[in-house]
Amino acid sequence: MNKLASCFLQHGAPHTQIFKSYHVQRSPSLQLLENRSVSMTRHRAADRAARGTIVDVAVDSGTSFDFESYLSAKARAVHDALDLTLQGLRCPEVLSESMRYSVLAGGKRLRPVLAIAACELVGGTAAAAVPVACAVEMIHTASLIHDDMPCMDDDALRRGRPSNHVAFGEPTALLAGDALLALAFEHVARGSAGAGVPADRALRAVVELGSVAGVGGIAAGQVADMASEGAPSGSVSLGALEYIHVHKTARLVEAAAVSGAVVGGGGDGEVERVRRYAHFLGLLGQVVDDVLDVTGTSEQLGKTAGKDVAAGKATYPRLMGLKGARAYMGELLAKAEAELDGLDAARTAPLRHLARFMAHRQH
Amino acid sequence: MAMSFHFHPLAASRVHFSPLPFAAAAGAPSPSSSVAIAAHHQHGRRRFSAIVATAAAASAATTEFDFKAYMGERAVAVNRALDAAVPAGEPPAALHDAMRYALLAGGKRVRPALCLAACAVVGGPEPWAMPAAAAVEMVHTMSLVHDDLPCMDDDDLRRGKPTCHVVYGEPIAVLAGDALLSLSFHHMASVGSYPPDVDPEKHPARVVRAIGELARCIGSEGLVAGQVVDLEMTGTSETVPLERLEYIHLHKTAALLEASVVIGAIIGGGTDEQIERLRKYARSIGLLFQVVDDILDVTKSSEELGKTAGKDLASDKTTYPKLLGLEKSREFAEELLSDAVEQLACFDKEKAAPLLHLANYIAHRQN
Repeated sequence: MNKLASCFLQHGAPHTQIFKSYHVQRSPSLQLLENRSVSMTRHRAADRAARGTIVDVAVDSGTSFDFESYLSAKARAVHDALDLTLQGLRCPEVLSESMRYSVLAGGKRLRPVLAIAACELVGGTAAAAVPVACAVEMIHTASLIHDDMPCMDDDALRRGRPSNHVAFGEPTALLAGDALLALAFEHVARGSAGAGVPADRALRAVVELGSVAGVGGIAAGQVADMASEGAPSGSVSLGALEYIHVHKTARLVEAAAVSGAVVGGGGDGEVERVRRYAHFLGLLGQVVDDVLDVTGTSEQLGKTAGKDVAAGKATYPRLMGLKGARAYMGELLAKAEAELDGLDAARTAPLRHLARFMAHRQH
Repeated sequence: MAMSFHFHPLAASRVHFSPLPFAAAAGAPSPSSSVAIAAHHQHGRRRFSAIVATAAAASAATTEFDFKAYMGERAVAVNRALDAAVPAGEPPAALHDAMRYALLAGGKRVRPALCLAACAVVGGPEPWAMPAAAAVEMVHTMSLVHDDLPCMDDDDLRRGKPTCHVVYGEPIAVLAGDALLSLSFHHMASVGSYPPDVDPEKHPARVVRAIGELARCIGSEGLVAGQVVDLEMTGTSETVPLERLEYIHLHKTAALLEASVVIGAIIGGGTDEQIERLRKYARSIGLLFQVVDDILDVTKSSEELGKTAGKDLASDKTTYPKLLGLEKSREFAEELLSDAVEQLACFDKEKAAPLLHLANYIAHRQN
């Protein structure tokens, strides 16, 4: 199970709940309310750290940036682009339906939005990043389809709906995953050319995505994950856990950001800072995911809370303790934001808010 | 390649099926195999006399070309490139081992050879196309690995060896296929994959275009589409109409052969006209491959073809001989070969020799 993906793509709670909570944390005028909210769930030391960083956000970006609107507008743009791409295929109907079923199933599109934000950070346009944004989502979806299959995680449900292989049969699900992987690369190649992105940049993006989809990322993480599931309880080290999460989840977050920065024309230095930011962001997402599995309700998570614990899976709270995991969250958030220091405040705003959103989400 | 199998009424006496030793086919043939191959060739020549006549006329100018040596050399070069592309001993070991097992299991490397030959025929140095040649073989291997899975063809043997999922388990086989597909694009897109003498101005755009072509030929409008339609007829006794049979073969087989040729020509710096001629050549030989497969199925025993009985895909139950009759199928094969050869007419004869011989090879092979 790709836990980060599950949380990213939940529909379990209404949007207003998510963003309301986030707004409270963002607005200085509601500092008092925010304090009360924090104190109910966090250690005093963490309270101080959280308050400090919130003040930083207010100072850095003011209150003019509307992250909620930004996220929903970009997510809509990506959804529409994916819809258009899939509509244009001349292929067997059952295959088209299977691909659309999973790709257009909704979700916050955080990875694609990250690609666009990274592109804009380095001075590129959103249009230049849309092909890689869509490709990232296709690769992600392909990995979920294959991950859910009986010989892998054997999940019958995904976001409350039947998994692709349950809806369409294993053969079609296998082939839909393959087709989405191929389409991702086709789309980067043709779409980037269509958007006027120089060929050498498009190729660098293909290299990033080609690595993350295979031995340098998702596939390697899945292999390690399966190997760890058979391991005796408690024998999975923090290093091994980190390897799994880095490869299975964080690498795709990283590739999304890096691909966006590359097609946007970022210099090597800029691209590397974006890479580090995304690396920390990807890990942060996973730690939050594990913490929520322990502290969240099933209703909030849109799945059964405590499932990972019950399954004996290695998680950060289990290896570090809940307090240690929360401290690690704070550390990762700080490191991610540090990579944005010294850059244009207006351009970094979406990425700062995205990191904050990731850290404070409830599911 | 999933070879079709069909019980011909006249073949009721067949009672034993055993795979040929594919090592002989994949590597240097042993003396006895050479004799057997020669014998089959003699036999085949009588049956395909019309085709041979056409081919003989077309290739008269290049009788000195040593096709066998050409294929042997290309296979060695491609194997070296594939071996380097998926290094042994890297973590995670199980995944790399499975990829290498599937990728380096031998095979004639026909698709890579087509890619390299297409690059050469438009005037490009063959090393320019080697990354693309490796990529098409990775894609081909990926399709076989996934095809062999229990939920698909459910094959336990491939070229006489246990299939990837039998050796490594289904999960690793699924992931190895995904990783090979991703690696094909990664390898083609990497600057370091290419020799230093590529044209620095034009090369990136050529590679982008080639990647677009390869991806399109693999996915929902190509290879995968063929597999989906082939599976759709599983379990029914309905005969597939000719148009649909052709659709399956054009997508499942011809699409990747087409991509092999087209991307070789693109990276070799071919003009649009040259690329389109080569695309037509590739489609003809792609379809030719399947028609000959079906003809061999009727005229050869299962033992000679090294395959398993009891296949259930649409393309196994419906064949050209069944739809057209054996004689008309042979005529169709002759037409396809002639069409393919015709597309090469505008190219330098010496440079076109490999493609000409590849077409002849596909038409006249015995397994």
